[in-house]
Amino acid sequence: MALETTIEHVEEPLPVTVIALDGELDASNFEALVDTVGAVRGGGAERLILDLTAMRFMASSGLVALHSIVRIMHGEAPLDTESGWSSLHATLPSDGEDRQTAVILCGPQPGVERVLTRTGLDRLFHVYPDRASAIAAL
Amino acid sequence: MTTDTHDHLRIDARLDRVSDARALVRTFAIDHGAPEACVDDLVQAVDEALTNVILHGYDGRSGTIDVTVASDGDTLELTVVDDAPPFDPTAAPVPDLAVPPDLRVPGGMGIHLMRLATDSIAHEARPGGGNMLTMRRRMDPRPKEER
Repeated sequence: MALETTIEHVEEPLPVTVIALDGELDASNFEALVDTVGAVRGGGAERLILDLTAMRFMASSGLVALHSIVRIMHGEAPLDTESGWSSLHATLPSDGEDRQTAVILCGPQPGVERVLTRTGLDRLFHVYPDRASAIAAL
Repeated sequence: MTTDTHDHLRIDARLDRVSDARALVRTFAIDHGAPEACVDDLVQAVDEALTNVILHGYDGRSGTIDVTVASDGDTLELTVVDDAPPFDPTAAPVPDLAVPPDLRVPGGMGIHLMRLATDSIAHEARPGGGNMLTMRRRMDPRPKEER
């Protein structure tokens, strides 16, 4: 199953780009998602909400994509796929540290949220139940 | 495990075919009454197992992978069979998420998720070449870490 992306720009209360993901994020398509975010960042976006409401599955390669997306939105190079796990955990905030705010997640289904928790990647993101609450929290 | 019923799929070792295996497992698990967390776990396990075989087993070479999913009414069993060079994911180091781990072994992330998604994983090198990976998960509605 493919992964479809829909890009929307919201101006209020703060300018933010929302990318809605529909489908399954896996090893066959995670690099395309990173490229999409690279183009959005290149177009001037400074904040990003990833709306995961319609994303029914995320593989481990999706974690590399999410972390690469954070790096891109901070003006850094995306992760090297092979070394992603090590560099990912080297930069995850500890409990009590502030999460970054350039990339926010909303609407993850339970299985996707479990992948974030099981790998510690939930420590990198603010996660909101839906798009409206994510935008309201900007 | 004595199975009451099973389903099987053979795919080419290509990343764009893994979604077919996920669909097979998801449909089988739902049809056999698996709770949502169990369905999610099995789909995760088959995806990570196949992705590892394709990327690190076949490593760009052509080949096939056989996926079988079976139920005995209490436990679902996934079997992944390939002709790739021997690789035992159960021998990979266990990551410590509190410490930056050196997990530059092939497929480290996926193996970590496979372990958490299943109750048991067993690897056998097949006589004559290839691997057989057998993963089981009870039809418990709770994720492993909540049991």
